[in-house]
Amino acid sequence: MSARENSVQKILRVDLSSRNTYTEVLPKEWTAKYLGSRGINARLLFNEVPAGTDPFGTDNILYLGTGPMDGLPTGNGRMSVACKGPRGSVAEGSFGGFFGPELRRAGFDYIAIRGKAEKPVYLFIHDGEAEIRDASHLWDLTTDKTDAALRRELADANVQLRYIGPAAENLVHSSVIMGNINNSGGRAGCGEVMGSKKLKAIAVRGTGRIRVADYPGFIEAYQMFRKRLDLATSRDPWTPVWSTYGAPVLARLFTDIGNLMTRNAQEMRWDEEKATRIGSEVYLDKYVTKGKACFGCPWPACQKLYQIPSGKYQGFKGGNYWAGQPVVFGSLIDNDDLDLILVLSGLCNQYGLDVFHVGYTIAWAMECYEKGILTREDTDGLELTFGCQDKDGLIDLVRKIAYKEGFGELLAKGCSEASKIIGHDSERFCLSVKGQELEGIAERNLYMVALGIAVSEVGPDHTRWYPPYPCNPNLMTKEELSSLGIDLDLRLAFQGRNPEEKGKLLRWFTISRAVIESLPGCVFLVRDTLGFDKRPWWQLFQSATGTALEYSEFLRAGERLMNLDRAFHVREGFGRKDDRVPIRMATEDVPFFNYPRITDDVFNHMLDEYYQENGWDLKTSIPSQEKLLELGLDDVAKSLKDISMESER
Amino acid sequence: MKRIYVIEDLCNGCRLCQTFCSSLKDGVFSEEARIKVIKIPGEERDIPIVDCNGRCLNPVFGDKTPTCVAVCPTGALIWEEQPQAIEKRLQWESARKTHSLFKIVAPWKWPFPWSQVDSDNENIEEKVGKR
Ligand code: SF4
Ligand code: SF4
Repeated sequence: MSARENSVQKILRVDLSSRNTYTEVLPKEWTAKYLGSRGINARLLFNEVPAGTDPFGTDNILYLGTGPMDGLPTGNGRMSVACKGPRGSVAEGSFGGFFGPELRRAGFDYIAIRGKAEKPVYLFIHDGEAEIRDASHLWDLTTDKTDAALRRELADANVQLRYIGPAAENLVHSSVIMGNINNSGGRAGCGEVMGSKKLKAIAVRGTGRIRVADYPGFIEAYQMFRKRLDLATSRDPWTPVWSTYGAPVLARLFTDIGNLMTRNAQEMRWDEEKATRIGSEVYLDKYVTKGKACFGCPWPACQKLYQIPSGKYQGFKGGNYWAGQPVVFGSLIDNDDLDLILVLSGLCNQYGLDVFHVGYTIAWAMECYEKGILTREDTDGLELTFGCQDKDGLIDLVRKIAYKEGFGELLAKGCSEASKIIGHDSERFCLSVKGQELEGIAERNLYMVALGIAVSEVGPDHTRWYPPYPCNPNLMTKEELSSLGIDLDLRLAFQGRNPEEKGKLLRWFTISRAVIESLPGCVFLVRDTLGFDKRPWWQLFQSATGTALEYSEFLRAGERLMNLDRAFHVREGFGRKDDRVPIRMATEDVPFFNYPRITDDVFNHMLDEYYQENGWDLKTSIPSQEKLLELGLDDVAKSLKDISMESER
Repeated sequence: MKRIYVIEDLCNGCRLCQTFCSSLKDGVFSEEARIKVIKIPGEERDIPIVDCNGRCLNPVFGDKTPTCVAVCPTGALIWEEQPQAIEKRLQWESARKTHSLFKIVAPWKWPFPWSQVDSDNENIEEKVGKR
């Protein structure tokens, strides 16, 4: 196969209703304007999925997008998946692994899937060809079994897969798309939409070649990039820790500083011994069987595979214990049994459930139970207490959520919907925003997190402005920062409970992370100076695509993306009224630490600063005409021109 | 003569070695390389297979280290004469029995001090058995 040039991006269009597939070349100028992956997905979504589209209807489109850096050793196999989500706004998420590079080697950069199949199908893409195949025999299989069955059927160890589990088939709230058994993506409901289309899986195999425009330039930029991320040369003490032990180290650190949501965030401090029992060190010592990484990752093993070594669940296998699970299946439900955490999160992966949905909704139900709002009659007899006495009952509850069975049917709706049904003021302790559960990161001690969670169009998603915790502000001088276009007082911006500069900081993080996710690349790789200095990626992008761009224009692509997301959001009727923190965070102080609740004054101050910096209307959050025109989004400006929204301040 | 030696258990499957190697001749990235990381269906293993004397046409880091070894993040690839390769291998065997971190990364890749570094191979026989 001849080598494909890297500046041309191609989309495979699939209509499941008519069973048609065809290929289109995307406008060449889009590579400079939107880069790729998440950026191009957002552009396509805004163009092709008009306001009011039924998320589960034939006109909703599911996009899977790679981008010009995928398949190159810096793309980390990242891929964006996007659609109109079941909760009415953009649903977008990203996953790593190996699917993206394989798709590009097969000759495609994007897949856009519309329509609905009559019977379950899967899509098989191989070196420029696409076939829609019967998947009746795969329907209802868990993700691990789907993976094994497809690999047997396609008889190729190198085939890459994305699939849904029973949860998404049953349209369970927030279900995800899975791959490599343990990689999930698209928690805002992309799995649900895939399930509604009766698309069980996508398999891809490609043997093509990808040519970069300027190889020596690419290698030079790679050296710069790598130096900041290698364990030996990175000037960031978190680099070695993060890339091996991983984020579960935080559980133990966080309990001391009031960052660990405990018993549904009624407290922010957990018993230190409990936190230690579920930490990274124990995980690595007793459970980890092998380190894993995404395609081309410069780090040894941010992912790991595990097997439970002894006890009742001996032999249970899974992977990827990261920052979320120690919270959602640990402190949040007051469980210090790591075996149980790993079984619950492993089962979520097998059913294709979103661990955050499941964890937060169970924690909400436990608080209802504690308060007498739910009783054993409601829970099918399950003693649903914090501390998790009935472990097997809890394990079975996860299955019931995936199949919407018994008490599981209520929890399958997510805590926001469930609290509306149950009433009794239980929404006061449902920890969600825009119908989407939180992700385990404290808000009352970290105001930028509170703001970031509030404004995200897809619901709580910290990868949109990662990292939530202050980076080392000493690696770059104020002058260096300002030469990169960053006029921020970092010391002030990083003060956790000071509302000043949070809007500006969040704006920078949102724009720069949008850039990384559009190349694509992995937002975790922002250690050393990479959190603020995007020049290594800029040079990688230019040399890989042959697209010459000013640095400021490169970043502007991220701003364009941020505005496209907001434009889609307001076009669907969302606005300032929806950008908020969970009721608990706005009405209850943090006990023991005496951190105050996030008052309206504090919150509105940050929100105003953020909207103002973005050029968005303070009352509605609608991007201004000037801003959209300045970004070259004339068509978007036109379509938002007549949008009216009541003042929401 | 220096050769490329492999510690299979440390390979995380990232394919940096294979991907960079594929590009050395003409700046085109593909699966075709002198080092290939293979998988066995149904098993969670990543196995680098090397068919090369380690003398790249164009090592990406500009020194004499083979590209694949230089880009490998875990230390799964070793570029040494045989006696040094044996020493490194034993160092890893010993380290992984001492600290679980070395299940996933080679001790010579870890930048912080850690207890009981066995670089001089003292007590090695106790830990890994008689050679
Ligand atoms: S030494 Fe160079 S040419 Fe040989 S396998 Fe490694 S990267 Fe490829
Ligand atoms: S670079 Fe190292 S860890 Fe990655 S696949 Fe090659 S041998 Fe394995």
